[in-house]
Amino acid sequence: MNKALQIRSTIHCDLLIIGAGGAGFRCAAEVLEKKPKTRVIALTKGSHPQKSHTSTAQGGLAAVDPRDPADDNIFHMFDTWKGSDCSADQNVVRKICGAAWEQILWLENRGMHFSRDPDGRLSKRTFGGHTLNFGESSAYRAVFEADRTGKGIMDTCWGETLKRGISFINQCLATELLFKENQCLGCIVFRQHEGEFIRILSKATVLSTGGSGQVFKITTNCRQNTGDGLALILQSGLPVMDPEAVQFHPTGIVGPGILASETLRSVGGILRNRKLEPFMEQYAPKMKDLAPRDLVARAMASEIREGRGIVNPDHNVEHVWIDLRHLPDAVHEKQIPEVTGFFKKYLNLNPKEKLCPVHPSNHYHMGGIPTNEFGEVQTSSQEIIPGLFAAGECAAASFHGFNRLGTNSILELITMGKFAGEKALTFLEKFPDQFPEVEGNLSFLRFSNYMEASGKDNIGQIRDALRTLMTENMSIFRNEGGMLKTIESLKELKHRADKTALSSKSLRMNQELVQHWELDNLLTVSMAITQAALNRKESRGAHFREDFPERSDNFNYHSLISMEQFGKVELERREVDMRLFEEKGQHADKFGLIERKY
Amino acid sequence: MNKQQSYNLTLKIRRFDPDSKRSWIQDYHVEAGRILRFVDLFRKINDEQDPNLAWSSSCEHGQCGSCSVKVNGKPLLACELLVENAVQYFKTITFQIEPLNVAPVVRDLVVDISTAYERIDQIKPYIIHPAPPPTENNEYPITPHELERYVNATRCINCFCCSSACISSHKTFLGPNAMLATIIRVMDPREQEKDQRLKILYSENGIYRCHSSRACSFVCPKEIDVAHFIAVAKEGRITEQE
Ligand SMILES: Cc1cc2nc3c(=O)[nH]c(=O)nc-3n(C[C@H](O)[C@H](O)[C@H](O)COP(=O)(O)OP(=O)(O)OC[C@H]3O[C@@H](n4cnc5c(N)ncnc54)[C@H](O)[C@@H]3O)c2cc1C
Ligand code: SF4
Ligand code: SF4
Ligand code: FES
Repeated sequence: MNKALQIRSTIHCDLLIIGAGGAGFRCAAEVLEKKPKTRVIALTKGSHPQKSHTSTAQGGLAAVDPRDPADDNIFHMFDTWKGSDCSADQNVVRKICGAAWEQILWLENRGMHFSRDPDGRLSKRTFGGHTLNFGESSAYRAVFEADRTGKGIMDTCWGETLKRGISFINQCLATELLFKENQCLGCIVFRQHEGEFIRILSKATVLSTGGSGQVFKITTNCRQNTGDGLALILQSGLPVMDPEAVQFHPTGIVGPGILASETLRSVGGILRNRKLEPFMEQYAPKMKDLAPRDLVARAMASEIREGRGIVNPDHNVEHVWIDLRHLPDAVHEKQIPEVTGFFKKYLNLNPKEKLCPVHPSNHYHMGGIPTNEFGEVQTSSQEIIPGLFAAGECAAASFHGFNRLGTNSILELITMGKFAGEKALTFLEKFPDQFPEVEGNLSFLRFSNYMEASGKDNIGQIRDALRTLMTENMSIFRNEGGMLKTIESLKELKHRADKTALSSKSLRMNQELVQHWELDNLLTVSMAITQAALNRKESRGAHFREDFPERSDNFNYHSLISMEQFGKVELERREVDMRLFEEKGQHADKFGLIERKY
Repeated sequence: MNKQQSYNLTLKIRRFDPDSKRSWIQDYHVEAGRILRFVDLFRKINDEQDPNLAWSSSCEHGQCGSCSVKVNGKPLLACELLVENAVQYFKTITFQIEPLNVAPVVRDLVVDISTAYERIDQIKPYIIHPAPPPTENNEYPITPHELERYVNATRCINCFCCSSACISSHKTFLGPNAMLATIIRVMDPREQEKDQRLKILYSENGIYRCHSSRACSFVCPKEIDVAHFIAVAKEGRITEQE
């Protein structure tokens, strides 16, 4: 083993947050507020927690205002269930929707700068898939901070935890979870600036590492979203749930895939094809442009496939248009300034005057680390792992099932983050004073392989090949042939990656080294996505099989997939929780296996 | 107008190797399409020429402030600078690229931003003593008009471009973005602890260190008129109730 690889020091804490995004922060804030002086350490891969991906969430945060005479929690629950294509867990749906408004007030009372109506109350807007009276009309349910709602959450939660004495370790990688007799006791951390490994022993550990969008070439996700949390879990021999459930956002800006928020459609933007026809009328006669994401993304991809797309000369990709020209100046300037600014900035184009080119872009991972409704991580046989929690995009409780509604993700962060915090607090009470001794060995094994490989290749190029492969075969339309081919190609890419030598062996701020580690995670997550998708011979939510275009009752379950060794998968199932239906209460009929039509 | 489709650029990048403590300027020649961003150029260099060049980014669409660098002396976000616009703005196809001078350099274009953030931490970027909402279990009412007075300041992403451009902030001044973070909380009706805020604002390291050069407003990628907020604070107008 490479001599430079050793543990420099060991730190002890009560609560370890792996990933200081919205979910991790909300969890930390809960613990610090309820039990001041708890020793909390939060890790982040970026240069500072404020740079986490949550800061980019634009549109809003769904929550039913109890003062609203027209709206009701049951409608929000129904929309979430219907949107999930009958695969969200109803205990989780009820718990999150029920806690939503209280969490909005938590943020507001601590300084979040929500947009206001003329009376000084929180403003609300509509969003795709959110309705009144079980699908009757659009609901005004999303509170927001202009088009920087996620930033508002991050600024508020960062401030709150800072106020209460959190410690941060920035620009680091959690490389390995530590366990003793099945209990999680912290992790091994690689500090990039110093090029050093440290061990953090913690009584409770929360995984909140965010998404995995870098698996795809065209994505709205930030550079750090390489699915590390999922890879850490798989590496530990634990399962991930529903990895095949990957969401594609309809309106990615042509080129890198930067998100043009749903807000563009909720304020009246219209999708048009080459002939300038408003094509959503044919795919979702009722909801039209406000139909849920998977339907809109598939409609756009179909238009393009059937020859009604337009080719962009700069990026040489096909797209459709979003028309914003008819919107009043006040809407452009007050409601969507940042998003319309993107078209100006990245395409040198003015949306007040010109049509804007958009195409579907990878956006969100519904699948993730399986937890119960309290954020406690589960094994494949659904036993709880003591000391280990997960929340946010890397987790699957599951609130979104196979398709997430816009504005439901950041709601999940602040609710599940809080629930996980509450559970962690009770767990901390019981923890004995003495820490058991544990050591890790997987990190050094992986890193010394990177240091010792001697083949000539380029990590960046392998990563690009992987991302292109996944975009081509595992996006909006999937089929068996493509997936079998993808699995073979993934194995080849893994083989190539394993052999690739680093051009510098320095451990300090060596981005190539970090990228090699991330590439391994991307490969692992890609393999899990593809294998689970291959196994699911039906179409559900965002998972669409051309060879099995309908939803099938034979697949009314969550997929659990374990893969301790690359490519060697074990598949299991978890039942979908349907208690709202089974309890036979009022409106129970709305929570059965309903059809998903908009 | 017939636009040129691609450019042959020379990037002169300031490098630093923490192991040998050596610093030098390295030339990279890159052929780039007209609407590639500077972060795309760095990635292209990593993939095609030099996997070692270290640089920072996260969101890559101007929302997080991770990718700030100086291009031909101007602090800006590398993820927002398109090749075509850079050529037009700087009237050249040769670009000097340096790390921001707001914190120690870790490697190449990567600086230790956590150190720069310590200045923000000092001003307490949160509500120290929140006012309870007038009716319990409700929001604290703030009219759009009231919010309008300071909402622009809340758009700051702590990219530190202003701090880099502000000569005063290289010494004792806490810097323009730290001042913004304070001013927000003086103006926010939910903050009850105004005295502590004002003390920081008017302290040794506070706004009187600013000599109104307006460089901050000029470079802010979010187009926040930072200098305006500071001027209003100097005149004492931020504490006025509407
Ligand atoms: C452009 C965009 C707009 C969006 N808009 C909305 C919206 O309007 N409404 C909505 O509901 N949802 C929206 N979403 C989705 C939502 O923003 C994300 O799902 C959510 O922010 C994820 O939050 P998180 O806390 O789980 O993770 P993140 O905020 O991504 O935080 C993850 C943290 O983990 C750290 N980390 C990762 N790996 C490691 C590691 N190995 N070691 C240490 N640290 C690590 C990261 O550095 C980061 O600090 C949007 C998403 C995108 C891409
Ligand atoms: S106006 Fe003041 S704060 Fe802004 S750059 Fe000049 S000296 Fe610095
Ligand atoms: S004020 Fe502008 S330039 Fe300064 S840190 Fe904030 S966003 Fe950046
Ligand atoms: S990478 Fe986020 S602002 Fe440039």
